[in-house]
Amino acid sequence: MSESPRKPAVFNVKPEQDADSDPRSSAKAKAKEASPRSPVAVSPKAVVEIAPEEDAQRLVSEAFSVDTMDPSNSAKPRSNGFSLLKIAGVAFAGLVSLAIGLAIDSLIRDLFARWEWLGWAALGLTGVFLLGVLFWIINEIRAISRISAITKLRDRARDAYEQNNLKETIAVSKSVVGLYANRADTARGRSELAKHDTEIIDGSDRIKLLERELLSPIDAQAQTLILSAAKRVSVVTAVSPRALIDVGYVLAENARLIRALAELYGGKPGYFGMIRLFRNVVGHLAVTGSIAIGENLMQQVVGHGLAARLSARLGEGVVNGLLTVRIGISAMDLCRPVPFLTLERPGMGRFLSELVSFSQSSDENDGGSKPENN
Amino acid sequence: MTKITTLADDAGIAFETLLSSVSDLWSPSLRLGVTGLSRAGKTVFITALVHNLVHGGRLPLFGAYANQRLTGAKLEPQPDDGVPRFDYESHLHDLVEERIWPQSTRSISELRLTIDYESASAWSRRFGPGRLSIDLVDYPGEWLLDLPLLGKSYAEWSAEALDLAVQPARLSLSDAWRGQVEKIDATAEQDESVARDLASTFTDYLRACRADNTALSTLPPGRFLLPGDLEGSPALTFAPLKIENGQSAAKDSFHAMMERRFESYKSIVVKPFFRDHFARIDRQIVLVDALQALNAGPGAVADLKTALADILKCFRPGGASWLTSWFSSRTDKILFAATKADHLHHSDHDRLESLLRELVREAVEHAQFNDASVDVAALAAVRATREGTVQHDGSELPVILGVPMKGERIAETKFDGKTESAVFPGDLPKNTGSMIEGPTNGSSNLNFVRFRPPALEETDDGVSLSLPHIRLDRALEFLIGDRLA
Repeated sequence: MSESPRKPAVFNVKPEQDADSDPRSSAKAKAKEASPRSPVAVSPKAVVEIAPEEDAQRLVSEAFSVDTMDPSNSAKPRSNGFSLLKIAGVAFAGLVSLAIGLAIDSLIRDLFARWEWLGWAALGLTGVFLLGVLFWIINEIRAISRISAITKLRDRARDAYEQNNLKETIAVSKSVVGLYANRADTARGRSELAKHDTEIIDGSDRIKLLERELLSPIDAQAQTLILSAAKRVSVVTAVSPRALIDVGYVLAENARLIRALAELYGGKPGYFGMIRLFRNVVGHLAVTGSIAIGENLMQQVVGHGLAARLSARLGEGVVNGLLTVRIGISAMDLCRPVPFLTLERPGMGRFLSELVSFSQSSDENDGGSKPENN
Repeated sequence: MTKITTLADDAGIAFETLLSSVSDLWSPSLRLGVTGLSRAGKTVFITALVHNLVHGGRLPLFGAYANQRLTGAKLEPQPDDGVPRFDYESHLHDLVEERIWPQSTRSISELRLTIDYESASAWSRRFGPGRLSIDLVDYPGEWLLDLPLLGKSYAEWSAEALDLAVQPARLSLSDAWRGQVEKIDATAEQDESVARDLASTFTDYLRACRADNTALSTLPPGRFLLPGDLEGSPALTFAPLKIENGQSAAKDSFHAMMERRFESYKSIVVKPFFRDHFARIDRQIVLVDALQALNAGPGAVADLKTALADILKCFRPGGASWLTSWFSSRTDKILFAATKADHLHHSDHDRLESLLRELVREAVEHAQFNDASVDVAALAAVRATREGTVQHDGSELPVILGVPMKGERIAETKFDGKTESAVFPGDLPKNTGSMIEGPTNGSSNLNFVRFRPPALEETDDGVSLSLPHIRLDRALEFLIGDRLA
């Protein structure tokens, strides 16, 4: 291993535009790196490249080029193999589209036969329709790939943080900054982070900075969104005359919340992305929800049980609001490009107290049931 | 381990601690011990720390500062009137204006830095004083070498010194002195001129050990290297002798004279230093300059390890509980820092840290056993270099850019102290053990050069930015972050 040790060496700082400056194959460099390097004495001819984070840049371009942005390796369909029903379904869908195609075709022919300009108009409309569908599909694919890119980024961030891997954390950090690059409200955070680029900071500390500078303002917005959704849900539950209306409203409000959170953290989720996200959120809730209850909900519930006893409607409102909060936190977990590593994941307690005080005050304001029935 | 304090010392220390605990109630203070052998960078560390806090440096990982809870930091008169003030202003002038490293410290000095902050918790914001005084003590690193002597008798020390002198790295350096010791009869009548002669040869030998190309560290007694105003006094005129096992000194013999002087050295020089400055330290940062030793090869690194192990045994690590902290002062947080981390590329920092971890392993274990929290970091209080890469022989070499000090050299290149150069100092070996136990001779694959302090960047308005650093904020967070919570 020690046949290629590198000697300490000195180089000129002034870049000389020599033929020497072509980048060598990275594979070769890698191989060199593996063996212990030591003493070499060199003439000061080589080109010095003053680039504090050249590694980072390379990694970022990698990060953004193939892996993360390629839709083909995101959105993996669930493997459910062939089934007879499926074959039949596909065949039927084919038939239907043929039928539609035929209908359109004959429509256009008929229109041409009647008046030529009507035919052209119909043809134009068909073209617009097809284009619209095409772009919609592209948008959906991009949205889904964005969601899975964020999922991937989150896994990478966690690994990099746990292994304190400097290169990887720099890459993750650049990707996250890139994610928010055209969001004006992150300008300050991004510039703060950029100031630390040339500093020598350990990997896990970089994630800490990233969370604090860039993500915590977004987290605050997310919490506001969750809280206001929960408030709306609790009020509507408290005043709605029919249980069905509650259920419908809670569902709609939650879907809106998830969508808003997804947009807040990483762009529009799209229609199919939304369905996927909703499914994931509910799944995530099933896993983490019980833990959340364990940590601090119990004493809160016991403590605020009093509030619920004041009025049954108010209690229902708080419970539905809490459900929204839980879904919101779960959605936050799934939409955030970096997991909660150094910052604390917002707990139920913080929302609960605000929700209860809000419900109480609104309850009093609309002259509803007063605490006379305790 | 021999006990280095007596019962009376302990009582005195406990009394002082109690006093300061009481005064801490309304003006909390924290004694931050900055420990390190000579040239480890204590003075620079203190200067950079103060400068960054006072002038608002870039400290993103120092939580209280980054959250903007620190409202100000200023220098205040120190509590000990008998100790000179740390000359922060002139050290800073050296660093920033002259771009030279401060002169090596010749005597002890102290500085108090008071931080105003708002606590993150509502309770302490209301009832806490919202200020913390940090007492920093700077002293010559040579003095540290004396601490292990407190636990040793003259005979033990002599035997150790003679053993050490025949180690391969020292064999040639100690020739003259060993020759002289051989000739001296310890039982002979005491003789001042012989004593002076012997002491001066011994001092020469210690000085030679410290030179750049040998860079040895285990060189007690430290005042021989840096006598100050005690120069020529009997307490500094002694040397180890060859003593037969278990032989006690006859009255008026040469041996008795040396032994007496050794004891008075301990009581006049070492003990006051230990009692006044080391026994009461709340937080501790141990600065280790491993690079100089690495330059000189594994022998020097092993010697550094011995020196550190001896010195670190003198510390009193231990967790603080609210009850015991009134009486016994224990260091509850210790940070071991490999300084001058800017003199090598950051990709090697992990290896530097693991080397340091190995060098201070015993001390870390001891501290952890005593419930103190310990961390290890590669650090540069003042970052003198930037980083880059260079294409060389078909591969990329990570290099550091800076202005090397005048007279430093790599291979055939000699630096003039003015031009900026890109330097590749060699790779630290992956295997930590080989840095300590490798072959003693043979050309080293490492050549760390010293760089001049950085030219401070200025903004357009002419405001100079703070001193750049590496991980100083992390060190601060570890050392004092919890007191500003």
